[in-house]
Amino acid sequence: MPVSLPAIPAIVTGSLASQHAFPYLTWLILAPIIGAVLVVALPKDLVRLIRSITYLSSLAVLGITAAVIDQFSTKLAGYQMTSTHEWAPGLGISWSIGVDGISLFLVALTAVLFPLALYGVAPSRNVKAYSTWMLLLETGCLGSFVSLDLMLFFLFFELTLIPVYFLIASWGHEGRNRAAMRFFIYTFVGSAVLLVGAIALAFLHQAQTGVLTFSIPQLEMTRLSGTEGVLLFLAFTFAFAVKAPIWPFHTWSPDAYAEAPASGSIILGGVMAKLGTYGIIRFDLGFFPHATTMLAPIFLTLGVIGIIYGGMVAARQRNLKRLVAYSSLSHMGFIVLGAFALTGASVSGAVLQMVNHGLYTAALFLLVAMIYRRRKTFEVSRLRGLQNLAPVMAGIFTVVMLASIGLPGLNGFIGEFLILSGTFTAHRWWAVVAVTGVVISAVYMLWAYQQVFHGKVTEDERAAAFPEISPRERLVLVPIVVLIVFLGVYPKPVLDRIEPSVNQLVTHVLQIDHATPSAAYHSSVSLKLGK
Amino acid sequence: MLATTIILPTINYTAILPELIMLGGMLVLLGLVAVIPRDFSTKTYAGLTQVIGTASLVSSLVLWHDVAAHGAFQAVAQAVDVDGFSVFFLVLVSAILIVAPAFAADYLHDEGIEGAEYFILALIAGAGAMLMGAANDLILVFLALEILSIPLYVIAGLNARRATSGEASMKYFLLGAFSSAIFVYGIALTYGATGSTNLADIAAFLSRNVIATPGTLYAGAALLLVGFAFKIAAVPFHMWSPDVYEGSPDGVVGFMAAIAKVGGFAAFLRVFVSALPTLSSIWEPVVWVLCALSLIAGAVIALSQRNIKRMLAYSSINHAGFILMGLIALSSRGVASSLYYLFAYSFIVLASFGIVTVVAKANSGSAEIDAFRGLGRRSPVLAVFFAIFLLAQAGAPFTTGFLAKFYVVSAAVAAHSYAIAVIAMLSAAVAVFFYLRVVLVMFSGSETEDAVGTPEQHPIVLSRWVWSGIMACAAATVIFGIYPLPLINFARAATLLFR
Amino acid sequence: MGSLTSYLPIFVLFILGFLFAALSIVASKLLAPKRPTTAKEAPYECGIVPTYELPQRFPVRFYLVAMIFVIFDIEVIFLFPWAVVYNSLGTFGLVEIIVFSLAVFFSFIYLIANGALDWGPIKVQRPASESAPRTTSSTVRRVSSNNEAA
Repeated sequence: MPVSLPAIPAIVTGSLASQHAFPYLTWLILAPIIGAVLVVALPKDLVRLIRSITYLSSLAVLGITAAVIDQFSTKLAGYQMTSTHEWAPGLGISWSIGVDGISLFLVALTAVLFPLALYGVAPSRNVKAYSTWMLLLETGCLGSFVSLDLMLFFLFFELTLIPVYFLIASWGHEGRNRAAMRFFIYTFVGSAVLLVGAIALAFLHQAQTGVLTFSIPQLEMTRLSGTEGVLLFLAFTFAFAVKAPIWPFHTWSPDAYAEAPASGSIILGGVMAKLGTYGIIRFDLGFFPHATTMLAPIFLTLGVIGIIYGGMVAARQRNLKRLVAYSSLSHMGFIVLGAFALTGASVSGAVLQMVNHGLYTAALFLLVAMIYRRRKTFEVSRLRGLQNLAPVMAGIFTVVMLASIGLPGLNGFIGEFLILSGTFTAHRWWAVVAVTGVVISAVYMLWAYQQVFHGKVTEDERAAAFPEISPRERLVLVPIVVLIVFLGVYPKPVLDRIEPSVNQLVTHVLQIDHATPSAAYHSSVSLKLGK
Repeated sequence: MLATTIILPTINYTAILPELIMLGGMLVLLGLVAVIPRDFSTKTYAGLTQVIGTASLVSSLVLWHDVAAHGAFQAVAQAVDVDGFSVFFLVLVSAILIVAPAFAADYLHDEGIEGAEYFILALIAGAGAMLMGAANDLILVFLALEILSIPLYVIAGLNARRATSGEASMKYFLLGAFSSAIFVYGIALTYGATGSTNLADIAAFLSRNVIATPGTLYAGAALLLVGFAFKIAAVPFHMWSPDVYEGSPDGVVGFMAAIAKVGGFAAFLRVFVSALPTLSSIWEPVVWVLCALSLIAGAVIALSQRNIKRMLAYSSINHAGFILMGLIALSSRGVASSLYYLFAYSFIVLASFGIVTVVAKANSGSAEIDAFRGLGRRSPVLAVFFAIFLLAQAGAPFTTGFLAKFYVVSAAVAAHSYAIAVIAMLSAAVAVFFYLRVVLVMFSGSETEDAVGTPEQHPIVLSRWVWSGIMACAAATVIFGIYPLPLINFARAATLLFR
Repeated sequence: MGSLTSYLPIFVLFILGFLFAALSIVASKLLAPKRPTTAKEAPYECGIVPTYELPQRFPVRFYLVAMIFVIFDIEVIFLFPWAVVYNSLGTFGLVEIIVFSLAVFFSFIYLIANGALDWGPIKVQRPASESAPRTTSSTVRRVSSNNEAA
């Protein structure tokens, strides 16, 4: 380029930790892409080879994730294993990735759920396209969680839409086209607003510092006036509220969850919903602390409404998959509640609950898919007495169900307890109302279990074979159950890694808030989680 | 008799060398096709056109180097600007003329349109588009506009055997002639108000003087705006484009769409940004309305189209809206973003129409959406490429399409035009939907429809020509989408040197 | 967007124009008496029933020749003033007019080569059945061109 252009300052900042020796995270993103490229290059008849490559690349992600967790230091609150390369400097975009306590276990969740979803519920037709879309989706999810550049995040966030659209529209159930369309339009409208908001934020930052950058740590330093903060907060939150989904932006989700193929539901409910709440914690709290504290009561209320509404609607469902979908919606309300309660405990709880929710929602969708595979129906009224036919499955279902209800000793309890206790210290009444959601979830879950697994089996039903859980299915479900129990009994290693980052974030929110006049309100809130 | 002293302009022929190469090459082709009648196939002429395009590209790059080393200059009695902006369009138009013949060669041969006529016309139109980017004088803008437009009217009617082709040509010609007339009237009024047709002089005049009765000037600017809006098919001056795209010969629509938009925007940007920036408070709201209407109407009407060519025509209108956002921003960032968008759009639209051509040919000429059903099984690679181009138009990440949209939206946001940025993104949301519908039709499923059975489901065989075109466009779309730095710098430099 | 108010008169004019047009159409629909007769429906309102179709057919070649004539007419229009001031233009003028003439000359050769000035029965230049595989459209084409030759 012969024309000399103005020099663009380097984007790497002091707040990022030193460059790591081996670019684990870059390979984390590349592994599924490489798999996808290989799959695309193969002829579609080599189904077995395609499947093996898909499994291998998703397992490679799992391996890299294990190494990342191993390397992750519990001492540091900031981003670790960062790597930054200029990408489109003129536009302020850079390839900047890293993990902290908030994103680490979401990466792990993604890395765990994808191989299980791929292995557990693969459709038999058009394996090549299916594998490609799933691997691309995995890239999108992982990339979103590890991006330290807002525009890079947006790119990956968008990248997830296309595979999900095709997964629903090509492999879904009867209402798939409509569901896929609604999913796509809702979420795309959300991200359209997000893009404008993100660009506006970057330009406000540029006006203050003279540097055009989308680097997340840098943008957190932007000082915004009240109106700017609120408008940008709403632009960001709208996108994430649709994705999460937060009531009343949820209307696309029950259809999409219910009509998606099993793997689609697992990823939608298990991983992609977390993109929304992750976005809220990472961006709303990080970029707009003042607006967040100001508008938190509204979103706390929406969270509580979501909990109660999701629970009530779930209780009325006669379709098992829709019941799980609405229960997922209801439990996402807890995460929203924890995120907007803005105490160390509640936000830590929200982050932990994202992982927990991902695990048991995925397990529930897997179990529902296994029942469907045997009986070709989701109707509760047409299922009965499965306990006699498949006791092991019933046992696993019980564990997962109890985890989702929040039974102490299983993972759901820890997260919800932290959220509710954290919320209680700051926003008592919201917490009190939210607790009823736990009761409602116990009601519909136990009802569903009773209907499906208890009861007498007629001769006809016995004749229509309902085979016990197969070794392959066992291989899929057992890891999740192990994780559910492990996290329920011994969450310390996870919390140790989550808390430093969360505490730093909450301090950031409250500090900025102190700078403004209306802040005394939060000063009594304890920041530290009692250890 | 008159005692005349004529001040002769010194003509720096190197400054207009790319245009001269285009026109000279055109004359050579004209001579060849006359002397050796019908002995060369269209493929030979396509190859020659690519050679001419390459020569013009090389001379454009030499000019680029000159401008970078010695700064911008003017030539031919200040009527031609040689600056980063004009060089950008020289390079882009040359590149279009290298790629476009690849899509036309086979199509013309198969349709029995032998001879070099299309390529001759394409070269003339290319020279016109180049001059549109270089013109620094309203008279030359008008000449360039006509040099660009008239060949396009003929190209639209190239397939004399199909009535639709003639109809398209007629519609395009009548409406185009109208808009040209309006444009000339605009030039006349602007000249009357400012006393010059030279863009730099007009700008200087307007910045020095306050015009007491600006009615003539406003009317002139408005008529110029209408003329340009017609060329770029901005709503409400878009009526011609779906009909023309649908009726024109398949293999050349991509070229028409790309070159008309490139040429139209080149002069649009230069005239309004460099000559009339002082009037921006007057024309900006109008352009804002044009832009918003194009964004919305383009996306919404495209939703209901069953014919892919018409759908792409309306999506082009939507793209025109996006490119206009760079003009609304009225900043060097804005212009750079428009240039980037034009570059991305040109190759995407060339390849999209190129693929529509081959698919339509394999389905006995039908470009209805049903022609694409099951393409994913029939010709998977072709379907994947078409999907890439459609997704790029939709603004999918890691293609030039995304960065182009990001760039124009960021320019609009930087200029505090939040409303248009939101409108644009919402229109993109609608647009994504109809692109995805085509992709879904190509890949999704039809075990059931197989049973019903379309008999000719054998794979579509593509010639090396079409492949080379598709690969070139895909490379431009994906490589500059993943590594956009050179292109962004090119677009930025083009506006840095913009006076 | 404050300057949008200055467009108010234009919008008002638009609305007035629209109202006027709409009013005229509605008024004529309501007020005008309708008594159609065959004579009135005929293409020529003076009532003479046409006996043959107008315009008459004549060779499209006339148009071509007319257009070529216009082009050369224009060339002369350019050449004449050039010749008048030839001395003061010097080499510059010579170069420019050579470029111009070359362009016209090549076009002229092209026209002649394409038979634009040939007169008489149409020569079939491309036998359609030569190489292309036989399809419905090619057959139709061949039949129609045979008819023309006949």
